[in-house]
Amino acid sequence: MSLHAVSYLLPDDFDLDGLKAALAESHVLQENPSSTLTQTFYDSFDWRVWQAGAELLHETGDRPRLCWSGLNESCLPQLCQALEQKPEFAEDLPPGPVTEQLSKVLEMRVLLPKVIVIQTRYNLALLDSEEKTVVRVAWVTSEYHSANRRQTGALDSLLVIMPLRGYESDFEAVIKRLQAFRLSTCEHSLFRSALTHLGIKPGDYSSKLNYRLDPDARSDATAKRIMLGLLDTLEANVTGAKANLDSEFLHDLRVATRRTRSAMSQIKGVFSPQEIEPFKQGFAWIGQITGQTRDLDVYLLQYNHFRTSLPAAVRPDLDPFHDYLKRHHKAAHAKLVKKLNSPHFRKIIKSWRDWLEAPLSEQPKGPNARMPTAQLADRRIGKLYNKILKQGAAIGPNSPAEQLHDLRKQCKKLRYMMEFFQSLYPKPEIRHLVKLLKVLLDNLGEFQDLEVQAHSLEGFGDEMLKEGAPSSAIMAMGILVGKLYEKQTLTRRAFEDLFTHFSSADNERAFRKLFGGA
Amino acid sequence: MHILGVYNIKGGVGKTATAVNLAYLAASQGYRTLIWDLDPQAAATFYFRIKPKVKGSKKRLISGKVDLEEVVKATDFENLDMLPADFSYRNMDLQLEDAKKPTKQLLKLLRPLSYAYDYVFLDCPPSISLVSENIFRAAEGLLLPLIPTTLSLRTYEQLLDFLDGHRITGLELMPFFSMVDRRKRMHLDVMQNLQQADKELLETQIPYASDVEKMGIHRMPVQAFAPNCPAARAYRALWADVQKRLG
Repeated sequence: MSLHAVSYLLPDDFDLDGLKAALAESHVLQENPSSTLTQTFYDSFDWRVWQAGAELLHETGDRPRLCWSGLNESCLPQLCQALEQKPEFAEDLPPGPVTEQLSKVLEMRVLLPKVIVIQTRYNLALLDSEEKTVVRVAWVTSEYHSANRRQTGALDSLLVIMPLRGYESDFEAVIKRLQAFRLSTCEHSLFRSALTHLGIKPGDYSSKLNYRLDPDARSDATAKRIMLGLLDTLEANVTGAKANLDSEFLHDLRVATRRTRSAMSQIKGVFSPQEIEPFKQGFAWIGQITGQTRDLDVYLLQYNHFRTSLPAAVRPDLDPFHDYLKRHHKAAHAKLVKKLNSPHFRKIIKSWRDWLEAPLSEQPKGPNARMPTAQLADRRIGKLYNKILKQGAAIGPNSPAEQLHDLRKQCKKLRYMMEFFQSLYPKPEIRHLVKLLKVLLDNLGEFQDLEVQAHSLEGFGDEMLKEGAPSSAIMAMGILVGKLYEKQTLTRRAFEDLFTHFSSADNERAFRKLFGGA
Repeated sequence: MHILGVYNIKGGVGKTATAVNLAYLAASQGYRTLIWDLDPQAAATFYFRIKPKVKGSKKRLISGKVDLEEVVKATDFENLDMLPADFSYRNMDLQLEDAKKPTKQLLKLLRPLSYAYDYVFLDCPPSISLVSENIFRAAEGLLLPLIPTTLSLRTYEQLLDFLDGHRITGLELMPFFSMVDRRKRMHLDVMQNLQQADKELLETQIPYASDVEKMGIHRMPVQAFAPNCPAARAYRALWADVQKRLG
């Protein structure tokens, strides 16, 4: 039998002495020293711990520790491991049960403090005749602080009763005795209460596209709504990208940029070209200035994978490549920060927002501006799909790589469009087709990435030689390039089957059924 | 789940102190840890202030009719649970003999706990018996406290012979010196000889210390009441050695 701790909300005028007297009737009461604990609750920027149904806290005090607890089970942590320093990346944490959980959900994301709770605990132990603790009781008062410590306030006081395994009957007796005090149990963890006080909603950021669109709305209005959502995402990531907290900020910023560019070109004919052209150029520039840092991020993220793919004897030879990447990343990032701080960047973002938030014209110049959203979505998605079928069918075993790259670009456009407009279609069907497309895209993406990587590695090698890197490093990179090309050949071979499946009669029927144009 | 036995044919070598302190250290690192006091003398159980009594008869435990989980007790320390000793353990050999596959009963009993614990420490009774053979077959590693005396080393050799004779392989042997008194010439000589001869030997030595004996007064691991004393420090080094050896 396993029992969970029970937490009760305590009114301000609670009679603690009365409680002690009641508990002392059945057990020896030991007052342990009271303790003050600072608990900092952490999650990634995009709330991955919370998405996994858990909370993560780092507790400092006598015994600093990192704890993971599932939501809604009790108000106490379930897994803990000792940890002195602030947690950041899962891969840098010492091995332990919490690290294991975090490695599963965090990937490349850094942990950021979301809220701080300072607790004062008055600890009581109920002892048996061996002076062994059989039930723990804590009276907890706490205050919350925002992560920047600017906002603060008090949280409800709690009375926490903690069972000990093998001493369940003592726990149950205490719970029964407490009924006389008519306390209500606590429903939310301190973390949730503190977030509510601060007006923070867990999960308030996600890079996933999730618009609820009106099928009858004007297409220009819908386009602006989609673009505004993308702009919010882009802006949300600027600070993190500048500080390089983790590589995902810049990645999400770039994805939002790419999606915006796709929306501008693919939601066709809703705005006049003169209006939209300067913004197209602006976003092309953002894509360009962020590219180099992202490329280096990718190599740094993959570095360990690269290293372990080499024969063990030459792995250390690759280390100068890591130094090279680090050095160049630092320089590229410094350049990026300058660009992101520039008046030019700020102007693009501000004028884009002003334009998106301005009221719609009563005499729109775009020929499709007044078209109902659903009609435009069907039409555009149908067209892109046809184009992909044609382009894909033209690819044979000897077609040049460019043809696959072009196909990939089209597939990406189609995917973004399907995701922008997904709420207009029945969920299971659209999800199925997006997934189908994703499988094909993964193959095409891998094919291109491998080629780009192999080329870049050769380029890096040339530069490293000039910078005086040892020839052993260049040779190790040579092995790597060979492996990348080998893998690319396999990826290329897999393409044919994947495309045949994607364009099968069954799947074509499903596409036509959903987006019309049978 | 790592199962570690703490064992010596001879009694009074610091076996229980080792089991209790290493289990405490594993738990304080955050690992879910269980210590099973298999010694009917119940010293480990006493150190954790738990009553040496297992609900239901011991015979039913060995026959698998009682779940180990039902008789687990929490200690006063986080992440550290205990299966307390019971006086009836003195007859465990007889009960094991009655079971099918008598040398693998312990492993069978422990298997269902593998999802609940990261480390299980078995505090073993001295002597060589069916119980100890069960422990050898269940454990991944065997910690062997050795007092640096000729007699103590003889029992170590007896154990090696036993393992060899019963074809028990794949058991990580981790002998180490315990209750070391560096003022004694013999201790120093014996240690020097074995250090040269035995590659399995762990580096850390546990000193003879009155703080370890005081565990009986405080009724808790020495780590918990005197974390800075030399013995507590030595156990921490020993635990680091063990974790390194297990990889």
